[in-house]
Formats: sequence, C-alpha cells, structure tokens
Amino acid sequence: MVNATKGLFISCDIPMAQFIINLNASLPASQKFIIHVIDSTHLFVQPHVSEMIRSAIADFRDQNSYEKPN
Amino acid sequence: MGHGEKGRPYKKLKSSKDEHRSIAMEDEDVYFGEAEDDYRDDGDKEGKKRDFSKLELKLDHASRPLWACADGRIFLETFSPLYKQAYDFLIAIAEPVCRPESMHEYNLTPHSLYAAVSVGLETETIIAVLNKLSKTKLPQEMIDFIHASTANYGKVKLVLKKNRYLVESPFPEVLKRLLKDEVISRARITPEAHGNDGFTISKTAGEIATGHDGLLNEAELAAAAEEKETHAFEIDPSQVENVKQRCLPNALNYPMLEEYDFRNDTVNPDLDMELKPHAQPRPYQEKSLSKMFGNGRARSGIIVLPCGAGKSLVGVSAACRIKKSCLCLATNAVSVDQWAFQFQLWSTIRDEHICRFTSDSKERFQGNAGVVVTTYNMVAFGGKRSEESEKIIEEIRNREWGLLLMDEVHVVPAHMFRKVISLTKSHCKLGLTATLVREDERITDLNFLIGPKLYEANWLDLVKGGFIANVQCAEVWCPMTKEFFAEYLKKENSKKKQALYVMNPNKFRACEFLIRFHEQQRGDKIIVFADNLFALTEYAMKLRKPMIYGATSHAERTKILQAFKTSKEVNTIFLSKVGDNSIDIPEANVIIQISSHAGSRRQEAQRLGRILRAKGKHQDRMAGGKEEYNAFFYSLVSTDTQEMYYSTKRQQFLIDQGYSFKVITSLPPPDSGADLSYYHLDEQLSLLAKVLNAGDDAVGLEQLEEDADDIALHKARRSMGSMSAMSGAKGMVYMEYSTGRNKLGQGQIKSKPKDPSKRHHLFKRRYG
Repeated sequence: MVNATKGLFISCDIPMAQFIINLNASLPASQKFIIHVIDSTHLFVQPHVSEMIRSAIADFRDQNSYEKPN
Repeated sequence: MGHGEKGRPYKKLKSSKDEHRSIAMEDEDVYFGEAEDDYRDDGDKEGKKRDFSKLELKLDHASRPLWACADGRIFLETFSPLYKQAYDFLIAIAEPVCRPESMHEYNLTPHSLYAAVSVGLETETIIAVLNKLSKTKLPQEMIDFIHASTANYGKVKLVLKKNRYLVESPFPEVLKRLLKDEVISRARITPEAHGNDGFTISKTAGEIATGHDGLLNEAELAAAAEEKETHAFEIDPSQVENVKQRCLPNALNYPMLEEYDFRNDTVNPDLDMELKPHAQPRPYQEKSLSKMFGNGRARSGIIVLPCGAGKSLVGVSAACRIKKSCLCLATNAVSVDQWAFQFQLWSTIRDEHICRFTSDSKERFQGNAGVVVTTYNMVAFGGKRSEESEKIIEEIRNREWGLLLMDEVHVVPAHMFRKVISLTKSHCKLGLTATLVREDERITDLNFLIGPKLYEANWLDLVKGGFIANVQCAEVWCPMTKEFFAEYLKKENSKKKQALYVMNPNKFRACEFLIRFHEQQRGDKIIVFADNLFALTEYAMKLRKPMIYGATSHAERTKILQAFKTSKEVNTIFLSKVGDNSIDIPEANVIIQISSHAGSRRQEAQRLGRILRAKGKHQDRMAGGKEEYNAFFYSLVSTDTQEMYYSTKRQQFLIDQGYSFKVITSLPPPDSGADLSYYHLDEQLSLLAKVLNAGDDAVGLEQLEEDADDIALHKARRSMGSMSAMSGAKGMVYMEYSTGRNKLGQGQIKSKPKDPSKRHHLFKRRYG
C-alpha cells in the first residue's frame, strides 16, 4: 500500500542539517516536524515549518556574528 | 545589531572560571559605548552632527590633508604630500581610532589633549596648526573643546631638582590657587628669604620642538622662541603623593606633569653608560625619544610601538641619556634575561653594573649606580621573602632611581602599579607597550600613574619602511563535521562547546596541512597557539611536536626554545597562552592559532607581535621588494560556532591598525585524503569520545596567574592545573583520575628541576 505525505524538502549543508535535527529533538513530541532524514544534507519536513526554521537559523547566525558597535 | 554584542554569547561563556575575564571584556565594551556617547547622546543631535554640508571648504583645500568635524573626529588623507608632518602632529594631539591604508580616523579626547600639552604643545599652537591643515574652517565646537580641555592641563609641573620636589608653573595665580588647598599648603616648605610671593622665579628655555618640519614649524618655533618665567614652590617629599592626588581632575583639576632635570641632578651618582656606536635608533625611535626629552628634561609617559619594532632599544637609549640608576621592570623571568641582554648589547654599561633580581638569580651590583632588571611581582610581592631578597628589595626601596622603565604596561593590573610606584622612588617613569587596548577605565589609571602617551607608531608605516615584517593575515574557515556539530548543539554539552569546536577534525586537518606546507615547502619556523590545554596536548602529541604551557619548568622552556632556534629538526612548537607576551622568538615567521581566549583583541595583537620582527634583507622587505609577504598569521575558525563571533571581535584591533584578513575556505585541499590525520570516520569518532569523556575542568581554558611570572613559576605556583599536570605526566591515560583543581598544592609546592626519568614521554623522546 502506498502512502503519500505532503511535505517540504530541505537541502542544506551538513552543520545546518544537524541544527535542524537538534531543533526538532528539542521540541515536545507533538510539535516534532521532521518526517524523514534522507541523508546528511537533505531532510523531509512538514510543510508549515519553513518560517520557523528560517528564523531559528537567523537567530543562531546572529549569535555567532560580531558587528562592530557604532 | 549594534550593541548586540552584549547579548547571549557572553552569558554562555560565563562559567565560574572565566567570569572575571568576561567582566573585564565587558568593561572594554562599556568604554566604547561611552566614548561614542560623549558626542552622540541623542538621535537629533546625531543627525545634525553628521550633516557636514555647512562646513566651508577653503579655496586651496586640495593641498590640505585633513577634515576636522565638529564632534571631535579628524580624518587624515594618507596620500597627501603633507601626510608625514600632519601625522606627527595628529598623533601628538589625538587618539588614533582606525588607520587603514588611505584614510586615518582620529578622535580628539581630553586625554589625548592632556598628552599634547605635556609634550609641550600649547593650546593656541594646537588650534593654529589644526586650522592650517584642515580643508575646512575649523568648527567653533572643536576650538571650544580644545580650549576647555587644555585650560588646566600642563599649567603645573612637578619637578625633582637637586632632590627637592618643586611645584612649578609659569602662572603665579595658579600656584596661589593651589596653595589655598589645605593639603597642599601644609605640604609646602617655606623658604627663609621671602620674595614678593615667596615663589622662586627662574627662567627656562622654551620647548625645543623637533620632528615637525615645514608647514608646522613656523607656529611652533614662534612658541618655542620666547623664554618663559617660571614660578615655583617647594613641597615636602613625603607629601608628594597626596599633593599629586589633590591636583587630579576630580579635585583641583590641575593635573601635574612630572619632569626630571637629570643634567642638573648632582645628588644621584652618574652611571657610566653610552649607546654603542652600532646602535642606530630608527627614525621612529628617535622621534619617540625626542618626545620624551623635549626640553632637556625627561618626561614621564608611555611610548607605544608594535611588537618587534625595537621597544628595548628605546628603553636602553632613554637610560643612556639619563645616565642614572635605572630600575627596569618586566613581566617574567624570561624577559628579565632578555632585558639584561639588551642592555649589554646596546650600551657600554659594564657587566658588574647590571644585575638581575629574580627568584633564580639575586645579583647585587657593585658601586653606587647601576641597572637592576626585575619583575613586577618581585617588587610588589607582599608575602614573606628570603633574607637575601629582603635585603635587595630594601635596597631598591631606599634608592632614588633616575629612571623607572616599565615593559608591557598593558598587562599589569592597576593595583600592582600603585604598589610598585609607591615602593620605588623614581624621578622619571617610562612605560612601553605594543597594545594599549585596555580601554576600560584602567587606561585613566595609566595616564596618572605613569604619564600620558608620548608617542604611538603607525603599524603600516613601519611595514612600508621595512622595520617590521609584512604579515599576511588569514582566517581559515573549517566546517564542523556532522558528529561534532551534533554534540556541539546539545544542551548538556554547553561547557564543552569550546573543546568541541577546537577539536573539530577539519580544523586539525587544516592545521596539519599548514604545518606541513610551511615546514616542507618554505622551510618556515612555526608557532601554534592554543589556549585550550586539552587541545594543546592532543594536537602536540598527535603531531609529535614539543609544547610549552604554564606548568613547563623554566629550564625545559629554555631548552625547547633553544632547540627551536637552532635545530633544523624542530620547526614547530606548540604554545599555550604563556607564549603570548614577551617570549622572544625572532626565528618564527608563521603563527597558527587554533584556540584563543574568547574575544580578546589584545591577545590577537600580542600573538601577531611574535612574528613581527623583520627578517631577511632590508631591501626585499621594502614596498615593492622581492617578497610581498614574509610572515603568515593563520587563525583557524570552526564555522557555525561561537568561534566565528570571537574571531571577528578579536581582529578589530588589527583591522584598526590597517591590517586586513583574508578568508580561506578550502583547507585542507579536498584531495589530501588519508595523508592527514582523522580522515576516517572511526578516528573522528574516537576523538569525539575522548573529548566528551574528558572532565569539564580538563577541557576548559588554562588558568594562569594574571602574569605568568617567576614567583608563580618557581616558588608558590597557584595555577589551577591538575596534579598530573604538576608532575608533568599529563597524559590522556591519567585524565579520568584527575581530581581537578589542586587545592592542596596552593602555595606549598616548590618546583624542582625535573627528574629526566619523570619527564613527559613526548619530551623524553626528543631530549632524553
């Protein structure tokens, strides 16, 4: 029997994939969004999470970048 | 994001261990905030002050080199034909903010103007010359600011003449105002014969201004030509400190300049020393000295020169001019040896007149004048001393020193300075440093404890002149591997984050690749810096290279450094942060930095300084010479981690000096494969397991006393190492037994020369 699930296909580099997996793991079971980890650079997730992931990554980046105070 | 830097990353790092460090860094930032706020406190004003359309351009603006803005900032075009003269002038009156290749930014601050006044520039001269150099009419705000800041500075001088402390001023009304103060009037010694005011009146020749030629000269010479009358009253030597304090800006606001009339000092015996003929001070060294000896007297102050630019020659030359007893303070035993050597190298001082005072060698000089080289800790040490050193310290206390020479003033905490300065009686103090970036409130302390900044060299000009090496700076981006990054993100590993990004296998491979490339292709000498002790040992053992860290004994350090300097076999050494300051390794020309102390700009600059000493033929090094770059500074950074943040912050000081960092993303090259370590996944995983299994304390930063000095090294060491580190057997095998901080050992353990049989097996193989 074939099952079809609508989702979002994410393609990114290795560390970011790990970041998303970690983000997923930190959420309670009801909010987990990863449907399948395809390989180290590709993920298949639920369709509504793209904004959430983007903002989480943007936050993470901000923490790691220094801007000279002006 | 602006002030976002006070955000999360600091808090995350603030484990109990480096709490004080984080605070110190925050202080720096606070200072930065304030410095900017002075001029831009609210948005409206900012808009107005940024609008420069109203400034009037002078007709011949093209031939004038600088822009002066109402908010105190000055921009200098370095391509102008007048650049050299304008630079000399600006460096005397303003604080350099950023000095890239074609355009420099300076800032007028009360401190910088204080320094200007103290080297003999007068308010009117400053304004006149500034006006002459500026492309636009000088804004009224700036003129007012200069007037306000210099109104009181430099009006009063404290002079030691024939061992009497005199308060001197060309303005009798100022002296009268000072004498209204109770503390000062009590300290006054009234002479028997009364004049009209009771002030002694004498004539002194005006300032002899050197170095500003051409355009600037007219104004300055005019100021210098007049002879000035000075009025003076004498004060009680024991009250000097109190009088000085009363004159600080928070009280009477007449900060005193200290000068030493050494030529007329007949009480203190002369020391027979001259510069040897082969010691040829370079132009910038001459210039810094001329600032110090501007009018035939010696001024106290700080001279800022990049590492490797010959600070020691400046120090020795100053001592040779004053020709009195000199106390030279360094940060640790190694640099004490180096200073003593520099004195012998550059001056004709006889060997018996120079002596070192450390816990190892307690020499006492013969005769009644001489040079003593010692460390800050030896002088300020509060505990019990041996009888022998008690005698020497007593001698240091009782003597009157002509010159107090202080090396690396930026590292010494203010309270230690106070102690040293109050313990030793000196006529003149000279501080030397490469990086005056301790821009928290402690810089103010330096200003009043030692004196104003007399001179600061421009790094890029020295590079162009071939006086220091031309360094290629590079930031190597190493992506985290999948497994390491997964662990890095886990909450439970928050304390191990640093160890994880430092031990990133890709970083290790990049490091190994760079070492191989420079050793084999270029025959370079390489220093690898790692603050993280765990990483240092891991890397050094895996690559089979010698290493030096806090617990390495003096004898062993000397041996390793000697091998590095002379042997063809030893081309790479690993250093922990003990190597940051004043270890002199002129042979090295490559630095690879694998881990660092968070966002410290000073550390970055000091480390770069290890390779700045110029090498090779002079003509090759000049602009357009054979070799474009002759030194390399690599900073290895794991991407997507906190390290990126720190790395950018650390580079700011060097960027302000005009350096640029090249980003390299493809190291090691993809085809390097199994040549380099940690190619296979199972190796990487076992490394990961090692990192995760090590105790939290073992993977943290190395804890050293603020200044790794001989007291810490030989007598009562108080480093926070483990027992196994103390015995030199800090192999990974012992990691699980390490009990962390060595509480028992505090203050008790005396380190002895190590028994060769107990030596770390890594070194046994090399030197056993």
